[in-house]
Amino acid sequence: MQAPLLSVRDLEVSFQIGGEEVPVVRDLSFDVEYGETLGIVGESGCGKSMTALAIMGLVPNPPGRISKGNILLEGVDITKASEKELQSLRGNDVSMVFQEPMTSLNPVFTVGEQIAETARTHFGLSRKEARNKAIEILRLVGIPSPEKRVDDYPHQLSGGMRQRVMIAISLICEPKLLIADEPTTALDVTVQAQIFDLFRELQEKTKTAIILITHDIGVVAEMADRVMVMYAGRNIENGPATDFIRAPQHPYTRGLISCIPTLQADPPDDPDALFEIPGVVPSAVELAKPGCAFAPRCQNVMDRCRVEFPPSAQIENNRSVSCWLAQEETV
Amino acid sequence: MTDSSLDNFSTESMEKPTSPARQTWKMFSSNQSAVAGLILLAIVLIFSLVGPLVYPVAPTEMVWMPLTPPLESDYLLGTDYLGRDILAGLINGGRITIAIGASAALLTIVIGVTIGALSGYYGGWVDNLLMRVTEFFQVLPNLLLAMVVVMLFSATLTNIAIAIGIVSWTSTARLTRAEFLRLRNMDYVRAERSIGAKNRRIIWAVILPNAAPPLIVSAALSIGTAILFEAGLAFLGLSDPNNMSWGRMIGDNRPYILDSWWGVTFPGIAIFLTVLAISLVGDGLNDALNPKLRKR
Amino acid sequence: MVKSLSKRIGNAVILLLAVLVLNFTLIHIAPGDPVEVLAGEMGGATPELLAELHADFGLDQPFHIQLFTYLGNVLHGNLGHSFYYDKPVTELILDRMGATLLLVITALLFALLVGTALGVASAQKRNSLLSNLVTILSLAGFSAPVFWIGIMLILLLSVAVPIFPIAGMATADEPEGTFAYIFDVAQHLVLPVLTLASIYLAFYSRLSRASMLEVLESDYIRTARAKGLSRFLVVYKHALRNAVLPVVTFAGLQFAQVISGAVLVETVFAWPGLGTLAFESILRRDSPTLLGILFFSAVLVLIVNIVVDIAYRVIDPRISAK
Repeated sequence: MQAPLLSVRDLEVSFQIGGEEVPVVRDLSFDVEYGETLGIVGESGCGKSMTALAIMGLVPNPPGRISKGNILLEGVDITKASEKELQSLRGNDVSMVFQEPMTSLNPVFTVGEQIAETARTHFGLSRKEARNKAIEILRLVGIPSPEKRVDDYPHQLSGGMRQRVMIAISLICEPKLLIADEPTTALDVTVQAQIFDLFRELQEKTKTAIILITHDIGVVAEMADRVMVMYAGRNIENGPATDFIRAPQHPYTRGLISCIPTLQADPPDDPDALFEIPGVVPSAVELAKPGCAFAPRCQNVMDRCRVEFPPSAQIENNRSVSCWLAQEETV
Repeated sequence: MTDSSLDNFSTESMEKPTSPARQTWKMFSSNQSAVAGLILLAIVLIFSLVGPLVYPVAPTEMVWMPLTPPLESDYLLGTDYLGRDILAGLINGGRITIAIGASAALLTIVIGVTIGALSGYYGGWVDNLLMRVTEFFQVLPNLLLAMVVVMLFSATLTNIAIAIGIVSWTSTARLTRAEFLRLRNMDYVRAERSIGAKNRRIIWAVILPNAAPPLIVSAALSIGTAILFEAGLAFLGLSDPNNMSWGRMIGDNRPYILDSWWGVTFPGIAIFLTVLAISLVGDGLNDALNPKLRKR
Repeated sequence: MVKSLSKRIGNAVILLLAVLVLNFTLIHIAPGDPVEVLAGEMGGATPELLAELHADFGLDQPFHIQLFTYLGNVLHGNLGHSFYYDKPVTELILDRMGATLLLVITALLFALLVGTALGVASAQKRNSLLSNLVTILSLAGFSAPVFWIGIMLILLLSVAVPIFPIAGMATADEPEGTFAYIFDVAQHLVLPVLTLASIYLAFYSRLSRASMLEVLESDYIRTARAKGLSRFLVVYKHALRNAVLPVVTFAGLQFAQVISGAVLVETVFAWPGLGTLAFESILRRDSPTLLGILFFSAVLVLIVNIVVDIAYRVIDPRISAK
């Protein structure tokens, strides 16, 4: 079997907060195969964005740093790479689309320049070649009359158009891995659908692997081959997307899936029918405590959960879950 | 960092709630450079307010041989080209310099806050008109305008303070206006309006206290600016002939710098230390009153 | 862009008229007869001259007619007559303008370039030696009177260690040849420029440092890094252009203050510009000259503001779109 494109092992990312080093991502291990789409799901603050930045080698330092583990991209360890090596990887082998299209583009340069400079940096193209390539990729991401738009400044484009420009920037060097961090959160619903269609279409053409970070289970169900659920900096459930939707294992995942409102012809009269996970995402102080971070909110909590974190348990084809409940069922 | 995990970290301390003034003092006093500034400022004030009682030498009279260097006579810091005692000049000039600085700063704040408050609160044509006036004063080099005013109306202490006040208020006005624009649509202001409070009350009793922190800082710093301004005018010869001031000492002694470095150096150090103390205190107040800005 | 430019010019003309009205009002509310104010109190004016002035200014006419007479005179380039120099004020000012422009523009460019460079460099490494130096320099630059800094520089670099000339703009017996002359003036220019730039150098380095720190944390800088651009391109292409925007804004806003500073610095170094002229006109109680300088510096400030406005539009494409 071929080695995976990306292999993350025992990753820990920590932040210096008030003189203390607090981990925001812990014991995180997962793989991404060539050409597949991995969905990373979790509430805001669960460490999914930080995981993405770690893969890019962009954890803001200080106050943050990768304190443990390895990130292997085609065998190259990103945690040990020099800044020069990282620069030649970024935008070339692995690229990223950010959440905020309104602020992620530099306001004082044309979008064409911002796309083209990536190609100039990695492929050594001339100005003219890079510009032509920028026009070509703008067309590919569905921007009308790209030979005009190439000279526009970001403020002249709508949010959806800007996100397409961001996607163009991330794709111009045909990376092997594209990380999309909540790429549609800031956009209108109709635009969201267009952007996801674009991702699917482009993936078919380029065979790029995608890590799609989202808090939207619906998006994952539609887009992802595999799903990883994160809670409080850890991977708590991991498996094929279809199984995940059909039979979630972790109480938190079950909660997440019950939260999705369903369209019914005859809605129930009960106004509380929309499920809600009680409680809030734990703070860093609570995270430092031993035991399962979800315990205070869990409906199936046991005494054991409060003292000891459950190890990851393999259950049926390629699924794993970190919960004492699942542990007991398999034993 | 979007979607940062840091957002959820609770860093609130579990201390008892204290009064705002005490909290401000607590933050201020934990800031080393601010405390240093405060001590320095206290020394300057004692030096120039208590000094004349301890050291009763007249600053404008000839007391010794002209151009005596420091440490070579009873007059510790030496004498100037007219044989006047430098130390006495520093002590008495300090009183005048600080008095002009403080009263000019007060005038600056009164004019600036009034114009800024009316402009920001009423908006519309009032704002338009007042901002034009502000712009007008920003276009004129303020030292030149003050020179014109003092020259035409004679150089008395009052005229100098007034001249400095009327050319220095523009930045205070802009700051106040910005604060009023921000605060005028706050819920508590709307609530006052809905129960029929008069505009005058809303401006001065409701919004102004909430806009106070940055204005207090600006007031503190404008004392320093006014002292520098007075020194500049005095250096150019526009000072009250009956009173010594630090700027005047530098101006008077400048033609003789080749013979006496001390005549210009000591008053300059006095101005520098005083303004430095005021800026340190101002910066400390800024940090203590606007904790959100402390990150940098 | 053309539209907003013409709007700005219109605005500038209104402000200049306002300056003239202010000048006129000041002359009239000052203690004493306006003619005495205009003639200066140095007793240089004969009774005949006073009578002539009386007629010239139409002082028997109602106030508003007098105002229009005054405005009309200025529009014809007549800013009044200096009795001390016995020359038209306009001529005096034009004679001295070059020296002031040379000093002010050199000092401002020096402060902008070096200040921004220091600020940007110190933003790269917070709490480094350079960063602390910038903080200390800016505190010192803000706290010491500019004319005193000038005097101290003279004591250090002209008297104690005689490297630079003490005062003036050129050596009395001018050296032969254009090149030698330029070199001579440049030597005289060093200390005044350093002095005048000192306040703004510190200010701009602090401003550009704060601005740079803010820009470096923005989303588009993260994007630039995610593209794999080199550190150099990220800082000097993507961040710098955004970080200089507030610096440019302040350079325009502060130009009036730079002229104020120039008055003091010129006086210290006997630099033969408008500042020294202003200082001399105080000594001679030569009000027409001082008022003329006030008006003329407002003209300069407005021209500089318009130039800065254009520069800002060139750097930031968002503005011209509005």
